[in-house]
Amino acid sequence: MTDVERLFRTYNAALVRYLTRRLGDRDWAEEVAQETFVRALRQTSIENERAWLFAVATNLVRDEARKDMRRRKHLALLAEQERDEMVEPEETTIERAQEAAMARKAIDALAERDRLALLMREEGLDYNEIAEALQLSPGSVGTTLSRARRRLVESYEALQKSREEREKNAAS
Amino acid sequence: MQHLDEGTIHSWLDGALDSEEAARVAVHVGECPECAAAVAEARGFIAASSRILTALDNAPRGVIPTAAVPKKRIDPFVWRVAATVMVVAAGTLVVFQNRGSDETSNSIADSALQIPALSVDEGAAAATAPATTTLPATPPAANARVGVGSEAAPKKNDGRLPALALSKQSKVEDNSRDDNAPEGRARTVEAGGTAGQRAAVTSGYTGAAAPTAPEVTQSLAASAVAMDLARETERLKVVGTPRRIGAKVTLYEVAGGDTVTLTEPTMTSLDHVVTTGANVAAKAARPERAIAPQSVTAGRAATAAAPESQPGAVLSSPRVSAPTPAPPAPVSQVEVANGVTTISWTDATTRTVLKLSGRMPAARLQQIKILIERERAAAAKKNP
Repeated sequence: MTDVERLFRTYNAALVRYLTRRLGDRDWAEEVAQETFVRALRQTSIENERAWLFAVATNLVRDEARKDMRRRKHLALLAEQERDEMVEPEETTIERAQEAAMARKAIDALAERDRLALLMREEGLDYNEIAEALQLSPGSVGTTLSRARRRLVESYEALQKSREEREKNAAS
Repeated sequence: MQHLDEGTIHSWLDGALDSEEAARVAVHVGECPECAAAVAEARGFIAASSRILTALDNAPRGVIPTAAVPKKRIDPFVWRVAATVMVVAAGTLVVFQNRGSDETSNSIADSALQIPALSVDEGAAAATAPATTTLPATPPAANARVGVGSEAAPKKNDGRLPALALSKQSKVEDNSRDDNAPEGRARTVEAGGTAGQRAAVTSGYTGAAAPTAPEVTQSLAASAVAMDLARETERLKVVGTPRRIGAKVTLYEVAGGDTVTLTEPTMTSLDHVVTTGANVAAKAARPERAIAPQSVTAGRAATAAAPESQPGAVLSSPRVSAPTPAPPAPVSQVEVANGVTTISWTDATTRTVLKLSGRMPAARLQQIKILIERERAAAAKKNP
């Protein structure tokens, strides 16, 4: 197994999930993740792989850099293999789709840095890795995360509340 | 010790503090009820935010991103290709229009609009249907997705490719059908849908003119009252198709950010075999087929119009098919449960009971229902 394949197998699932949550589009997330691994290929050495990958993926979303077609095709094949191995998530219900729509609104309401820190933390990055990826001081990560979590939950609950009010109005 | 700040509490709960500081925090939390309460609240936020983020994992493929993410740049090459295809499509349309009027004017002499029956328009109009369904609000964003994802376009097959590109493809196919299968044209004329199809083709992928297609066709088949109601609802956007065995579920977003759900029972027969690896190979071998209008979105928008005869449709053809378009059927039943209103009716084409539900009054649902019916009817006429 080559080094990039090891990186891919180790981090692709988390990176794609992070990007999917970030972008709301799984295809796009996979494209960006693949581009991230292409970038990793060009590095001679990466000190902190996970922080590096998440930082590059985050910057790629911002910059929309050009892609390396040949390498992306190879990675696309790997992604296909991995998708075959993945367990399908449980059946989506209408209620869950509505929850997803509210979650999307709530996460989009966060400040960019708060959102990214929270999404990275959810993928298991520790405070140092988050600080490195987002170029924050490690001491501020706790504050960033606490603010992000509080705001996410509060705006989600506000959306829930307004939905309940609409239900009441519809029923009456 | 002072009270703990929220950041420290989260750092502690996340295990980010060194052992010495963590021990100090633990001692303080044990002694200070106020901080203990703050810790409990923080635990709640951590758990709740995790749960909320998990809900995002159901993101479907090929969705236009929301405004919070940066715009994607469009490769100028894509614009050039689109422009070329548009010119070719427009030219082809003119040619076929002229030919079509010679061949078929007799058979539709009694049509109100006297528009030539063009079987070539069938596929082309159908191709516009998915694009106009998904694009009405943000055509530039959709183009951006095409620009960036163009390399993967055959794989995605998500219906957001420009309608123009699709129309060209459709025309090629339908041209041959025109020569070989005269019954195809006859069916089109019977359906009285040519006017609508033509309108859909000429409207391109702007989405703005899309409603004119169903409007014209409806005027030949449906009541004016229904149209007046439906015209008030301009936008209908498919935001998801949650999977459910035995039914096809489509989640629409309507004006005001509300969502409604359309449930259609389907036959759960083994009419599709999905093999991931083979898909890629098959699509790579026939790229034109892969971007044909049998996209996922087409399936959502036009479930009553599966182009079963087309080989490309095997990959993602809708599970419900119908030979003739369905005029809007009267609502037969209204139920309200837990604030969700559900209207149900029997589809005239498929003889199945369709249900439309949402958190809104029944009258509003009926408007939306008419809108959906219009889309389905228009699509059905384009894809008999």
